[in-house]
Amino acid sequence: MTEALLSTIGGKMTLDKVLSTEKAELEEAVKIANKGTHCGMCKVDFLESGLCPAGKKHGFAAYWPEGRMEIVKALYSDKIKPTKELLEIANSCTICGICDKQCNFITHLRPEKVSKALKEYVNKLDDKDIVTIPENQTLKDIRSIVGERWASNDPAVIVSYTKTIITEDAGVNFYVVMPETTEEVAEVVKYADKNNIPYLPRGNGTLLSMFIETLLAKAVGLEKGIIFDFRRLRKLEIDIDNKTATIGVGITAFELQKEAYKHEMRALVAEAEAHLCVNIASVGIISTWGNTYGWGSDNFIDATLVNSKGNIVRHSDEEVSNPYSTNNKFTNLTLTPSKIITEATVKLHPIFEDEEALLIPFEKLDDTLDLAMTLAKRNIGLSLAVISSKYLSEFICPTNEIAEDFDFIAQNYLKMNYLLDVICDKYDKKTVQDLADVFIDENMMKSLILGSPRLASLKESEFLKILSEEKDPLKAIFTGPMRKHLEKALDPSPEQISKVFDEDLQDFFKKVYSKPEMTDVVWLHSFRILPSRLMRQRMFMLRGGYIVADKEKILNLNKMLKETGDKYKLSNALGFISFIENGKFAFVEYDYYFDHLDPDSHNRLNQAIVETLQLELKIKGLLPIEYVFHKGLHRKEHLFYPMPEGLSDDELKILGEMVQSVVGG
Amino acid sequence: MVKFLSEEWIEIGKKYMIEKLDPVKDLKSITTSLLGVVEHIPPDDSTMNFYLELEGGKLKDFIVNTGYTFEEKEAAYEIKGNYGTYKSVLKGEMSLGIAVLKNRLKVKGSKMAALKLIKPLDGVIVSLQEITDEFEE
Repeated sequence: MTEALLSTIGGKMTLDKVLSTEKAELEEAVKIANKGTHCGMCKVDFLESGLCPAGKKHGFAAYWPEGRMEIVKALYSDKIKPTKELLEIANSCTICGICDKQCNFITHLRPEKVSKALKEYVNKLDDKDIVTIPENQTLKDIRSIVGERWASNDPAVIVSYTKTIITEDAGVNFYVVMPETTEEVAEVVKYADKNNIPYLPRGNGTLLSMFIETLLAKAVGLEKGIIFDFRRLRKLEIDIDNKTATIGVGITAFELQKEAYKHEMRALVAEAEAHLCVNIASVGIISTWGNTYGWGSDNFIDATLVNSKGNIVRHSDEEVSNPYSTNNKFTNLTLTPSKIITEATVKLHPIFEDEEALLIPFEKLDDTLDLAMTLAKRNIGLSLAVISSKYLSEFICPTNEIAEDFDFIAQNYLKMNYLLDVICDKYDKKTVQDLADVFIDENMMKSLILGSPRLASLKESEFLKILSEEKDPLKAIFTGPMRKHLEKALDPSPEQISKVFDEDLQDFFKKVYSKPEMTDVVWLHSFRILPSRLMRQRMFMLRGGYIVADKEKILNLNKMLKETGDKYKLSNALGFISFIENGKFAFVEYDYYFDHLDPDSHNRLNQAIVETLQLELKIKGLLPIEYVFHKGLHRKEHLFYPMPEGLSDDELKILGEMVQSVVGG
Repeated sequence: MVKFLSEEWIEIGKKYMIEKLDPVKDLKSITTSLLGVVEHIPPDDSTMNFYLELEGGKLKDFIVNTGYTFEEKEAAYEIKGNYGTYKSVLKGEMSLGIAVLKNRLKVKGSKMAALKLIKPLDGVIVSLQEITDEFEE
């Protein structure tokens, strides 16, 4: 903005006002950015569209689409002023459109508009609008460890970590550091410890983005200090002979699985975007494959960690004290990691040529659990889980609206409230088919995925009304004569599903959905690219945890979580139930969905969290999810044997005071 | 108002707690002892500790020492953390509970029993917050 221009408006308008005028142009971008929920999928090349070139080159979250969203919001709310690095961030975007493709698939948002608005905004600024951020001694010291380029205290860089590791009201009193090696991590931790600087590591930020929206924000987030962003620790080596992979903490689940698949092996992984080492350490990898492959500590052979004194510790070191020990008491609650994991060697498992997915639909959870537990105890099914129709709908449908209609149809017309989701080999398949009256095979699943928009559009149709009047709609539709009518009505094709996307993206999505893996249920279970759709323009919070696999216990837990969700007017549904330890224990995920932009919604969610936790802690044989945090490196035997007894009223009161202290502090 | 870990801090802290805290109402008549270890104290990166003992809710002892241990007394609980964390707690920026959950303060001893202390210790923390206004930078 030049002086001449200022004079043309009579000198009455101050520079700030001019900036405000330009900021108004960010309004549309802010609306999009507000809906962003930081799923982290823009950092994973899951559609083979390539990755954001700026993010790949510069690393910091600020250079990735999700980071730009936070920057736009911070600029608009005056949390930050334009800086030199902000210009670089904005102009590093080449408007290539990759982010639109990735984000649209998951969230149906168009982040490129945000990047474009940011670019236009900064390019209207004059040199004197730019604030200079001095390099203080702390930054100098950190840079001397990791190199000048890989540490920053620039507010534009800092705010890009908002909603994943720092709360919105936390200010910008932070440093972000991107070390390249374990040794660099150790040096930075040593420096932080000596200089009383708090620090916190993050993976891709997805789990943190869930918890930062709740009353646990202050306990899980960082209030000031050093943010570790681990994207540069990118070792990925496959040992074919020993069937293992050694991975740096910057490797995502998707990247490892892709590499493992090249060698016809499979890793037990978390959701595609999760940095796998972090996920092992945080919750131990909760998966539908758990009954066969185990959980976190069953799957890593060695781990490298940096302790709070900055010492490097390996699990295989002879002098290390038992690194697997932990206890399952309710006081063993840790909401931030005590050590930083930087590398792990993990097991890889064989893939069989005859692997196939079967989904057995049920009206009642009771019946679903009967079959699920029969199979789990006999180790039938490589992957085995009970899923709700809500979960299925959210995963396979390309938009929230379609998912809602799909779920409505599943529940009200098809009477398909739950599905037993099994990946089996040919031997298991025979057993499952013997035990199930009705099943959805891979071809039908392909039709449901590609035909989901069309099915949703049949919500008010006569066809579905007639179907719902059948004695057994599930049998009629999936094994009876109506199957062919349904398949015809769905008209499942890449062309059909691509029509729900914006016109300029339809060709791209037609190609995406033409790829076999996009409708290959086994591949989708292995690569886990769909769960982020649960964060599609709104958030969810998971409840539940590990429980003794007793049907009545599971049903009661499900009932309690539903009633509490309903009480606080939260959209809620069972997510999934999977098993470990030959069906001895089940993991129950129950989801509360909420509008992350609505304070009232937050308030109701927080009340539901406190109430459910109190009720969960009284249940004998249940370890709530909060108590699994940062226990993934420990031996599961120490966590689950014996399962907790449940708290007495007195003990609950003490923990209540503790929670109060957390909420209040 | 005094400097954290100074002799004055101990003296005024004792006086304040005796005068202002009700042994039953505020300190729930607890009997316990606590060793707080403070690491990385600026400017010379030293370590100090303070020992606090309560009997029936009455302050029995409050002593400050150098190093990691206080040899004359064995505390029921030990809380260890760096100077920055104690400073945040005493400035009211972070609660004791959050500092424990965040691993910033490490507790040695029974965690369930330590949790029982959090409520009664609130009074002690508030007292120390009231009297402490100076920290090493």
